[in-house]
Amino acid sequence: MAGATDLLIRWRQGVWQPEYLIDIKNVPGLDRVRYSTRGGLRIGALVPIRTLELHPDIRQRYSAMTAAATSFAGVQIRNLATMGGNLCNASPAGDTLPSLLAFGGEARIVGPAGQRWLPLDEFFLGPGRTVLDAGELVAELRFPPVSEHTGSLYIKHSPRKAMDISTVGVASFVSLQPRNGTFRTVRIGMGAVGPTPMRARQAEALLQGQPIDAALIAEAARTAAGEARPIDDIRGPAWHRREVVEVLVRRTLEHALAAALRGAPDSFETIRDLSVEAVA
Amino acid sequence: MTGENLPTTESALGKSYPRVDAAGKVTGRTLYAGDMHLPGTLACKVLKSTRPHARIKRLETAKAESHPGVKGVVTADDAPRRRYGALGLKDRTLFAGDRVRFIGEPLAAVAAVDEITALEALELIEVEYEEMTAVTDPVEAMKPGAPTIHEDLANYEGSTFSGGGNICVIADGDRGEVDAAMDEADHVFEDTFRTQPINQGYLEPMACVADVDAAGRINVWTSTQGPYAVRAALAEVLEIPIGQIRIIPTEMGGGFGAKLRMCLEAFAVMLARKTRRPVKMTATREEVFTLSGPRLEARIRLRTGVNKDGTMIARDALAVWDMGAFLGPGVQAGISHGVGAYHIPNFRLRSYGVYTNKVPASSYRASGVADMTFAVESHTDIIARKLGIDPWEFRRQNAFNEGDSSVRGDRIPRNGLHQCLDEIRERLDGSRQSSDEATGIALCEWRSGSGASSAQVTVNEDGGVTVLTGSVDISGTDTTLAQIAAEALGVGMEKVVIAQRDTDLAPFTSPSGGSRITYSQGKVVEQATLQLRDKVMELTAERLQIGRETLACAGGRVYVEDNPEQGYSLGQLSQMAVTSRGGPLVGNASLSTMPYAPVFTAQAAVISVDRQTGKVTLKRFLQAQDVGTPINPMAIIGQLEGGVVQGIGRALTEHYKVEDGRPSNASLTTYLMPLAPDVPPLETILVTVPSEDGPFGARAVAEPPGFGPGPAIANAFEEATGVRIKELPLTADLVLAALRGEATDPQLDLSFLPQEQRPRGPVQWQGSG
Amino acid sequence: MKQLVDIIVNGEPLQVGVEPWQSLLDTLREELFLTGTKKGCDEGDCGACTVIMDGKSVTSCLVLTVSAKGKAVTTVEGLADGEKLHPVQQAFVEHGGLQCGYCTPGLIVSAVALLQENPDPTEDEIRYAIGGNLCRCTGYSTVILAIQNAAQAMRLGDPTTLGRANR
Repeated sequence: MAGATDLLIRWRQGVWQPEYLIDIKNVPGLDRVRYSTRGGLRIGALVPIRTLELHPDIRQRYSAMTAAATSFAGVQIRNLATMGGNLCNASPAGDTLPSLLAFGGEARIVGPAGQRWLPLDEFFLGPGRTVLDAGELVAELRFPPVSEHTGSLYIKHSPRKAMDISTVGVASFVSLQPRNGTFRTVRIGMGAVGPTPMRARQAEALLQGQPIDAALIAEAARTAAGEARPIDDIRGPAWHRREVVEVLVRRTLEHALAAALRGAPDSFETIRDLSVEAVA
Repeated sequence: MTGENLPTTESALGKSYPRVDAAGKVTGRTLYAGDMHLPGTLACKVLKSTRPHARIKRLETAKAESHPGVKGVVTADDAPRRRYGALGLKDRTLFAGDRVRFIGEPLAAVAAVDEITALEALELIEVEYEEMTAVTDPVEAMKPGAPTIHEDLANYEGSTFSGGGNICVIADGDRGEVDAAMDEADHVFEDTFRTQPINQGYLEPMACVADVDAAGRINVWTSTQGPYAVRAALAEVLEIPIGQIRIIPTEMGGGFGAKLRMCLEAFAVMLARKTRRPVKMTATREEVFTLSGPRLEARIRLRTGVNKDGTMIARDALAVWDMGAFLGPGVQAGISHGVGAYHIPNFRLRSYGVYTNKVPASSYRASGVADMTFAVESHTDIIARKLGIDPWEFRRQNAFNEGDSSVRGDRIPRNGLHQCLDEIRERLDGSRQSSDEATGIALCEWRSGSGASSAQVTVNEDGGVTVLTGSVDISGTDTTLAQIAAEALGVGMEKVVIAQRDTDLAPFTSPSGGSRITYSQGKVVEQATLQLRDKVMELTAERLQIGRETLACAGGRVYVEDNPEQGYSLGQLSQMAVTSRGGPLVGNASLSTMPYAPVFTAQAAVISVDRQTGKVTLKRFLQAQDVGTPINPMAIIGQLEGGVVQGIGRALTEHYKVEDGRPSNASLTTYLMPLAPDVPPLETILVTVPSEDGPFGARAVAEPPGFGPGPAIANAFEEATGVRIKELPLTADLVLAALRGEATDPQLDLSFLPQEQRPRGPVQWQGSG
Repeated sequence: MKQLVDIIVNGEPLQVGVEPWQSLLDTLREELFLTGTKKGCDEGDCGACTVIMDGKSVTSCLVLTVSAKGKAVTTVEGLADGEKLHPVQQAFVEHGGLQCGYCTPGLIVSAVALLQENPDPTEDEIRYAIGGNLCRCTGYSTVILAIQNAAQAMRLGDPTTLGRANR
């Protein structure tokens, strides 16, 4: 147990009945954020979502994470909820998860058999289910360093600007080849449109290495919507989610591209305003 | 005596005094019912039906009763076999006996040493259901052959309609010759609308503590808008004399209508009597949705005959209200707003309340009127657009003028309706609108609540003034009542205390609801204070052996106008009064109802529409309401803004989903009320045309602000997109479907009804419920 | 089985015996009788139970008391200095930032936490900072006005009144 924001509710509802509960909140060393141009970004599993929202290195280089964090619940829950908790809770709609995928994150999994690094897109198995075995926990996350010619954004579609679980959430990361202006790397993470947060691999492949082109971005968005596997639930019908995911993939790509071309991220206020239901 | 020493007091009217209860609330010291801790208190939990419609074959509580820590269990067998109900129709019992009619209907209640033990005990109660076919759509429930929810309706006390089937009440109103006028009209327009179930969303879940004293008298601390209504209901269902019950209304953490009637109190009282210990029940948030009633859906069909010149001459309105398993309010209040704020000479209004297997409907901020106003103001806009008339002009042309006749035949008194429209128009004209924005308007009417009111005002030995009423503070009314008393007696606000009340001490008062407190309760406080003023003047005249007409009462003194030094302070008079002929200084007043004083508001929404995702964003919201003489502008603005934001929730995000009788979003995680970042800048304009009868010209305020956002936003949406949406809320998926030409066009066709179930003619309107 | 937990509440070191599942909210209300902190939903959705824990605002219904061990908790009862209200409380009183009062302790605590981090917030920053606090009565404008006034009073050490726009 770390922040316990989700777990506590399920415990009280009787959905979850633990025999033992171990509070890892005070395990040292798991609550740090570190960035270096060579090693990239490292985030301890106990880092609160609020830190993700406020951290200057993250704002500067990983703005999609800032956007995801600031759209997450409210301040009080952002202070309690942790990165590791959001990850291991494995909600298909978990706000930070598409951005973690978009930045090509890996998790350091520690257990009785030692430790291993696992790419996050292999981490989720289904709603609430992960690859973690009994006795294993996620200790930290790492992300490759990002160059100047990159940009990213997370946009969440939800009825309200705070406290909502996303109806659809999309994070896109774009890195440009400065010499010839082509897409060097594109990663797209999508939330709440399938049983797990997922990458839009085909859409990414469509853009990779190609020259910047609005029509191609639009086609990638359509492709991503085709990759999505949304369902009907209390937060919205599948058909609408499929429509919205296309729009959000396109918008996040466009914003990420603009930031990459500019060589500078948006201000925090802009990121915040864009993060929940950015209107083009 | 020099000029500056003259005994004057600044007028208490029109000033934004902080709430008299503010200090306790900002420090957390105010005690709400759930904060009460009496020694030895037991916790109460209620077992509720998990089936929408079923016979109870067996209910076995033995295991629960022997569970360690359980002190008492009660079921239908422990309660007198008495029906009670809202609005005079006695169609429900405290516990379901051999039949459940909705998911959430109480079956048993347990008192235990703590909540966890009580919850464990609930799991030990065995219930065997025999499922019955449920009907959950109100129109389906009206059709011949639908499962009957109350076979015995005709025999229930207070039954006014028993034509068979699930129709439990019909309200109607007629004037003129509707069919002839429709034939004569140049155009006839027809639209049908559908509104959604909605929760009141008060922050404090219902809570109460019941305690039986050694003599058997019952004390109940409870969060309620209507302490006397709770007392009467408890007395009725438990067959206890009214005088044996004392209700102490604790501070109420919001009610908005949901706390007008008895809810948890009877369970706590039964268990307190059984266990001889104090019993506390605090509802969970889920129980806010499933145990106290929400509003359910309405379907409303409007037909209007209009002349070429844009004059509306006939209105035919038909409405069906989902009541859930037992009768609730809204059927009559809703339909009585079927012509809106307009003078339409011929009308036929028909309104059905229908039972379904759902949580029964309760009150919410002018039950039914927000639904009806959504229909009326959307329809009004549609007509204006189709006729090519400016929607402002169309409204202005048809709106009530002073001297017109209201739906119920009251004379429309002096009012600020047209000024409200002008104020909003002016404000909009004076501001620039960006090209991706569109504006919609709504004009709303509320006929205003009234009800039995009484007050007692006394002067204390030190000249302080104590006001005792039976009305629970709602929306800051205690502060307003204090201002009225201060003004009427010419004392400073700091001299006035609003007494803590309970049903033993305070005179009878109808519940706090329907925006009635300032208008009616304020009136009796004014009258009681004026009576007191007469008494202090009389006493002074007697003591000074001087004519009353030479005296003045101001600044906490009664004195000779020409010689201000000659006179007495109110404190001196209070002390003298003890030995005087008239006795201690007490002013009393009562009234049963106040004259009709409608409230009008004009509202405008400025929106933008994301045509790709369907998201509607509210950019500005304006309202101008005729509030009469504003006694406390800050309190009034608080009501207007809070009401509008509730209406914004109704328009855009709130929808209590009860599918097949099963609530699917009975939680604040999924029932979405507006939060601070969702609310645009609110522009609030007070129009101040004094009412003819209210205290110092005040009017009712709180209900109408919530009516306008739904229609104003839907009207703005058509302005923006050319597409009309006739249901709420305007969620992104509904909007996107509509933009693609797939908007649902709600229909309401009751031609299947057999002749005997059609209304036979106008019935008498009663009350405002 | 109950566990003993050391916790500092409103500056006072305390020891309470709690069940492992007990939330900080229930401990404050049921064991310490600090009933100013309200329970509106018990699911972290309404913000009525907001307290400050080690300098951060948190919804106390989502905190296990055992995990608050050794931490400093400030509730609404801990804000006033004797009879002298905290500037945020004072501003809520003066500017009508409360009605029924049930969300008020949580809102005030959220506002105090905000002003500790950001003494001069913009209107938008205030709106987002109280985005986790549901209020059904006020429509939020008066709450925001109160927080703006409190911020100014705390910065200037002087209760200057900001006017209301559009009124």
